[in-house]
Amino acid sequence: MYVEFLGIPRERAGVSELEIEAETLGQLLGTLARQCPALGELIAEDRLHPSIAANLNGDAFVSDPETALSRDDRVLILSADAGG
Amino acid sequence: MPFGYHGCYLRVDVTGGSAERVPLSDAVLRQYIGGSGLGARLLLDEGLRLRSGGGAVADPLSPEAPLVFAFSPLVGSPLTTSAKFAVVSRSPLTGRFNDSLASSGFAIAGKRCGCDALVLVGRAPSLSVLIIDDGEVRLEPAEDVRGATCQAAEEKLRARLGADYRIASIGPAGERAVRYATISHDGRHAGRGGSGAVLGSKNIKAIAVRGSQHCEWAHPRVLTELSRDLSKRSFGPATAKYRELGTATNLLTFNRLGTLPTRNFQSGTFEGAAQISPEQLRVERSRTRASCVACTIGCEHIYSIGKSTGGSIGKSSVRLEYESLFALGSLCGVGDSDAILRASRRCDELGIDTISTGGTIAFAMECVERGLLDEPWLTFGSGDAVLKAIDLIGEREGVGQLLAEGSRRAAETIGRDSLAFAPQVKGLEIPGYEPRALQTMALGFAVGARGADHNRSGAYEVDFSEKVDRRNATLASVCHAIETEDKAALMDSLILCKFLRGVFTDFHAEAAGMLQAVTGWDVTADELRETARRIVATKRQVNLLAGWTAEEDTLPGRFLDAPLSTDPGAVLTRERLQELVAEYHRQRGW
Repeated sequence: MYVEFLGIPRERAGVSELEIEAETLGQLLGTLARQCPALGELIAEDRLHPSIAANLNGDAFVSDPETALSRDDRVLILSADAGG
Repeated sequence: MPFGYHGCYLRVDVTGGSAERVPLSDAVLRQYIGGSGLGARLLLDEGLRLRSGGGAVADPLSPEAPLVFAFSPLVGSPLTTSAKFAVVSRSPLTGRFNDSLASSGFAIAGKRCGCDALVLVGRAPSLSVLIIDDGEVRLEPAEDVRGATCQAAEEKLRARLGADYRIASIGPAGERAVRYATISHDGRHAGRGGSGAVLGSKNIKAIAVRGSQHCEWAHPRVLTELSRDLSKRSFGPATAKYRELGTATNLLTFNRLGTLPTRNFQSGTFEGAAQISPEQLRVERSRTRASCVACTIGCEHIYSIGKSTGGSIGKSSVRLEYESLFALGSLCGVGDSDAILRASRRCDELGIDTISTGGTIAFAMECVERGLLDEPWLTFGSGDAVLKAIDLIGEREGVGQLLAEGSRRAAETIGRDSLAFAPQVKGLEIPGYEPRALQTMALGFAVGARGADHNRSGAYEVDFSEKVDRRNATLASVCHAIETEDKAALMDSLILCKFLRGVFTDFHAEAAGMLQAVTGWDVTADELRETARRIVATKRQVNLLAGWTAEEDTLPGRFLDAPLSTDPGAVLTRERLQELVAEYHRQRGW
């Protein structure tokens, strides 16, 4: 699946998207933390910092590390604080 | 009198320049705190006084209409982001309650004049500067700054009066009663709802304040510790977005989620989003950062106008926020970043709210597209047209005379069902959150006391979470909308910057701790929750006095029943919105 980064996560990752293999959100975040150490402050084990959110395919927001992912999913990692 | 307060407000009748100090009881201060809350209470008191005297509810631009500048107990404290003031009046755009906030040294200097608020009534016989020098009040002529931009007026008056004055000014638009004119100080604006037109209607070009009267804090050592801790946390990940990218970074996120209002809310995505995004702007332009007075976040991102990288930012630059970017960009279909930056700067100079400006121009562009308005140059996508329209609005010339009235009044003049796509609630133009795809926010817009606004209802936070289905609001969404509205009311009364909200783990408990340290009150988190509800209810009381009816709590026809063109799943039916609003009223006990 592809992970898209927006806002601060894109700043930290240094890219706008990455292709990653994972079966759950927790696995995906763990892989991201290893592959992009700069994302470290935004990921604690298998969860995102409260200022960051994950979204599936532009639809539902998800946070449960057990959330199942499929190969066709696009996971958006973005700044949760949308105001301004 | 509690610590942190002066225990009075200064009521100034600018007709003759007379002033009186009016005591504020401990009970009123504790019940309304300051800022928007205290302003709402003072506005209600003034309205009730007018009515009991047999007077009708004053037109917001009439001499009798009060204009309140309210400070807060935290102003002047070392708490980060606390140098703020609220400007409260009835809005000439909506006829309803309006509060607009700004951060600047004006708050600190104003409070040092020895009062917790200023209440202005009357109309000066000629264009004047209201000078409040340590609580002493006088008027001076302002003919020499007539027509001056906000920034030029401020500079010229400081040169005349002295560098220790802090000056809040209106621009040419406020003088000409553009209904969404702002009050500006130090590049910041009390922006929404037309408080600049209210000040202009009083023939006051600017208010200059200086003072030497300090408030004592109840527990200075505790306050210092709390302030240090809050400042430290304000450097963390919860504010990184504002510090590193600024609010403008919302643009690409919203575009990706299909919630970016485009071409007068006809679409939720904009094909030119990438080229006007801050991520692209900083590649092709010089950029610098700045902070409000007494702020550790530093959210202001200032871009050069004209493409250049490296070197200093230069004078030709402008602070760009998401709301200005969306309103003058995607909402008008403009993908030319230089035109957007110029337009934003021109709004700052004239002293007009960028959201209402962009919303009203976008509405006019759609009217032209539909053949309802004969201004063929005013087309979606034209940056030149946006710039021309802004100047006409500031001058109230040509079609600018119509657009200076805001989209609702313009639609009422144009007729032919154009009100259905005028992007406003109660007359206030809708900010950059697509209501059909963010339905908790849609409810927040519909019920807002000052109209559609993202600063008085933070319900978008709920939509951007797994608490709700953002495209299918249910009655369970209502309590979230109430909670975010109450929280905003409390933050606007303390007053603290909302960009801190992610920093708090338990906002009400921490806010209670701050108030305890400043005032000495034994205030609790639960008391503050009750205070917030009281403040929201007081805003509604002001609206009731002004003729509010429940039918106003709705959205324009465009947003109801039909799906968003770019997101077929984003449908908000009229019946569903009515249910949500009714449940909101029920839970409020209204």
